[in-house]
Amino acid sequence: MLLTQEENAALNLRAMYQDFGYKFFRMRRFEEYDFYAGKKDFLSSGHILTFTDLNGKLMALRPDVTLSILKNVSHGKYYYDEKVYRVPMNSDSFREIPQVGIENIGQLEADDVREVLSLAIVSLETIAEGRDFVLDVADAGIVAGLVGGERGSEILACLGGKNVHGLRELHAPDELIALAENPPDELEILGNLNYRPEIHIDFSAVTNLRYYNGIVFKGYIEGFHEAVLSGGQYDMGIGSRGMGFAVYLDVIGNWRGGND
Amino acid sequence: MINIALPKGRLGEKVYGLFEKAGYEFEGVREAGRRLVFMNEELDMRCFWVKPFDVPVYVERGVADIGAAGKDILMEKNPDVYELLDLNVGKCRMSVAGLEYGDRYGNGNRTLRVATEFPNIARDYYSKLGREIDIITLRGSLELAPVLGLSDVIVDIVETGRTLRENNLMVIDTIAELSARLIANKSAFKFKSEKINEIIRRLRLID
Repeated sequence: MLLTQEENAALNLRAMYQDFGYKFFRMRRFEEYDFYAGKKDFLSSGHILTFTDLNGKLMALRPDVTLSILKNVSHGKYYYDEKVYRVPMNSDSFREIPQVGIENIGQLEADDVREVLSLAIVSLETIAEGRDFVLDVADAGIVAGLVGGERGSEILACLGGKNVHGLRELHAPDELIALAENPPDELEILGNLNYRPEIHIDFSAVTNLRYYNGIVFKGYIEGFHEAVLSGGQYDMGIGSRGMGFAVYLDVIGNWRGGND
Repeated sequence: MINIALPKGRLGEKVYGLFEKAGYEFEGVREAGRRLVFMNEELDMRCFWVKPFDVPVYVERGVADIGAAGKDILMEKNPDVYELLDLNVGKCRMSVAGLEYGDRYGNGNRTLRVATEFPNIARDYYSKLGREIDIITLRGSLELAPVLGLSDVIVDIVETGRTLRENNLMVIDTIAELSARLIANKSAFKFKSEKINEIIRRLRLID
């Protein structure tokens, strides 16, 4: 086979997003450092890979795609096939991470939210090739109203780790413990998607309240040891609203087969 | 099949005792030998002994679906896993200790030298206090460090405090209460939730 599993997945996903009316967005691999430095809060890790351009300007290799798209457009549906440069969690070096994903930018209605979630489901279906998959969905907005104070980040970490005993120890609000222990069966905004068997309402999907503040979601496929898709709804002020997700092609490329 | 990573050593034996009580037995686990992997075909489960510090690695990478790890190791390594249950065994404390009459802050005129096996926990604790420290990472016999003048304080696990007392050291502050926790790979938990939840249910029933 000429194409690797990773390249194959990328082509299939791109063709699908194109069919759904999303436009291809191509961007430069690096931008001026200042652009990202002012938005460190929105980056999953504070590390940015920098270099000095010939004119002496400090440049950065792109750590995030969404910010670069938002910089250029304030409305519309786009898909991308790009590489980002980040220090993954629990790692001490930079890695090039290939991502394919979509962004629906602008003031979104419930129907738009459902469309993005549906696309996430079809994306997982495309990559899963018959294996089981799950899309964990939660509302970060609800969590934001319950988490705060000095120990907010510890509480959030316990929520992300389904650590109910930890939440109790930290005296997290009862409503939050209830969300972690017995999440609701449905979320109103999901509409008919509530009945899709692949969708699980699971508040451990909320891991960051600085970036996403509406619906957030993470996709898992049986046999892959980590999430292969992740996304959500963000609102960083006028001109910077929308919803999107990324498929982590490196996870797919590194697949070693199930251990069963 | 469910794969379980257990920490080699005293804590692991206590945890295995809980699994036994819950009805999950693996033949040969308690026999001294070099075997590391044990199978129970009937339960469709497999368990293996790994170094305590490596349990979160096996679970995070999905080679083990679940595992038992001390809270100290989870705090130090901060793995991307679910922490589903406090197993309530191996209870002890992560503490700051030093020579008698010392305090956690030490002489304010110079950088505080902190000896520890847990550099991330020590860094996190002192950065919250805003104290500049010099971390000296050691592997065991931490009590020696302040006695010989290698460090001002140590950040270490304290169970009864006897070793500290015998070396004229005292606990200055407690950072966290520790015990063994049941952890699970995030993805495995989605697809093997029924079996994993059954294990948790049975472990909870043990007194």
